[in-house]
Amino acid sequence: MKADSGMSKVLLVDDDVELGAMLREYLQQEGFDAVAVHDSAQGVAEAVSGRYAIVVLDVMMPHMSGIEVLRRIRAQSRIPVLMLTAKGDDVDRVLGLELGADDYVPKPCTPRELVARVRAILRRTQSASEDAPLRLEVGPLIVWPQRRSAQWREAPLALTSTEYNLLEVLARNAGRVVSKAELCEQALGRPLTRFDRSIDVHMSSIRQKFSQQGGDPSLIQTVRGLGYQLLRP
Amino acid sequence: MGRLFWKLFFAFWLTLLLTGLAVATAVNLLRQSPDGNEAPAVAAGPAAVMLVDAGASVLQYGGVEALRALIRNEEGSARASRLHAVDAQGKELLGRSVSGDAYAAAAALAEQTGPRRAARWVSAEGERFLLFVPPSEHRAGARHRPRQPLLPPAMLMLLAGVAASIGFAALLAWYLSRPIRHLRWAFENAAQGRLGVRVQSRIGRRRDEIADLGRDFDHMAQRLQRLLEGQQRLLHDVSHELRSPLARLQAAIGLARQNPARTEAMLQRVEQETERVDQLVGELLTLSRLDTETGHTGVEHIDIMELVAAIADDARFEAQSGGRELRLTTHGECSGHFPVDALQRGIENIVRNAVKYTAEGTTVEVIAEYMPASKTVRIEVCDRGPGVPAEDLEKIFEPFYRSVHTSGVTGFGLGLAIARRAVQAAGGEIHARNREGGGLSVEILLPCADERK
Repeated sequence: MKADSGMSKVLLVDDDVELGAMLREYLQQEGFDAVAVHDSAQGVAEAVSGRYAIVVLDVMMPHMSGIEVLRRIRAQSRIPVLMLTAKGDDVDRVLGLELGADDYVPKPCTPRELVARVRAILRRTQSASEDAPLRLEVGPLIVWPQRRSAQWREAPLALTSTEYNLLEVLARNAGRVVSKAELCEQALGRPLTRFDRSIDVHMSSIRQKFSQQGGDPSLIQTVRGLGYQLLRP
Repeated sequence: MGRLFWKLFFAFWLTLLLTGLAVATAVNLLRQSPDGNEAPAVAAGPAAVMLVDAGASVLQYGGVEALRALIRNEEGSARASRLHAVDAQGKELLGRSVSGDAYAAAAALAEQTGPRRAARWVSAEGERFLLFVPPSEHRAGARHRPRQPLLPPAMLMLLAGVAASIGFAALLAWYLSRPIRHLRWAFENAAQGRLGVRVQSRIGRRRDEIADLGRDFDHMAQRLQRLLEGQQRLLHDVSHELRSPLARLQAAIGLARQNPARTEAMLQRVEQETERVDQLVGELLTLSRLDTETGHTGVEHIDIMELVAAIADDARFEAQSGGRELRLTTHGECSGHFPVDALQRGIENIVRNAVKYTAEGTTVEVIAEYMPASKTVRIEVCDRGPGVPAEDLEKIFEPFYRSVHTSGVTGFGLGLAIARRAVQAAGGEIHARNREGGGLSVEILLPCADERK
């Protein structure tokens, strides 16, 4: 899901027309090709069109549930989604992450913070580093860093880009416990904040996808108080 | 079992026990009183008199043997002979045993004078016989038997009484105290903020004052729950509404930093958003003030029609600048005491709302009329806007309601909420309906006993 041009196309889905216009302007100044839409149906259609590199989605739209928009996008596409959530509203945040959002930014946020997050996600998703190994194999799990995909034996895993990042970090460090702070830094591209359950939600989602392909979810071990570990068989 | 149970239990039990004792004593006293109808030792009824008379005749005219034959004859029948004849030596004619009691009683009876006696001395063949009829066996049994078995040992009676009274008192106490325990449980839950509890299901089909209390509790809890939920929703909505201007403020600041050439435009933006926040806070304060005020503050004597006309004039100016018209129609006059500020604000919000939503080129109708029959002022404001979905007609008066069609219209959705509270503060009511041919009609009914001087 790369942008057509070198410029990354960002889709803003927010019912606040004025805010959308301002954020678009800001993103354009930062070198992004940004488009703002204010309607949920249009937002879903644009998001799955393949023309965008990332979606910034306000989940607090009064007349259309952003969560529903996210659900519909995820039903058709693995495009990275950054959620704008209400500060303190954990329900929306956890639900969004469970539905496959890649990360969240609490609203109101400074546009600088938003751009930093967008950059972090795009960096992870777009630049598979040149020196990345072709293939990482941990027992039945095979990770392809250059293709940014993973499979359980023959079955491909439908991971979102954040889930893939987490799995790749674990696979690179297979057999070793990786702390949550480290995971957050490397896979989400941002420092871990207090009370942040994002990593746990993503991990649980990865385990579910293991199970769906007949794999063993306990390959990823939770080490209480420390972090996560991919077991090397 | 709570204290109340034990209190009720002991009260009932004591009452029952005392009542029982009193009744038992009374009955006992009656029973032990001298019994005038004590069973006689000899029969004295007409049948006995007849038998004795017959015996006497037979003895006098037929002699001893004839009497013996008579008695024996009768003895042959199913019924036992009842006539006894005892000579001076105390020997019965047929040798049957005679109790001393019966003999003495018969002798005493025979001493009495009178024509029809049930015992008699009769002389025949040089011997005196006492003729009498002892009471029949079953009769004597009927009279004598109850004496012992009818009155069981006093201890047993006492025990039965105590047991029965305990049982009954416990039942009654339980019946009365149980719903109160349920009520207490419900109150405890409510005190801890669990307003979802209801006692109705626990009290069941009971119909009395305690059950009514339970139902009242349920109503109260339901109302409180709704109020609380309303407040929480309001708080949630307020925080959400505050977030939007804040997000825009931050975006504006970010843009100004990013591109100093845009600083001036963004500062304007910041100003605009700040005003918006201020306006939101102001409207929220108005709403909360209307909520807490009882309606007695700021009451003045005003002419309602004048007030409506003034509001309509202001709004007409605004409407015309947007290519819309406003027409005011008034019928009758009415003045009275009203909370002026609240009412003006309420009516103004409705009129402005209509002007805001009515389509370009259409006319907003404002009708104010006094209805002397019901002593009410009716103010109706009609627009030709998009209207409201039928199921939302009540919701538009709730804070932060915004119709799906209104994405282009600015405001917080507090105007109609304020209007409703204001009209309610003035003792009136407010309703909305969709008009035929499109648009919304909001109607205010204000009680107004015309106080023109």
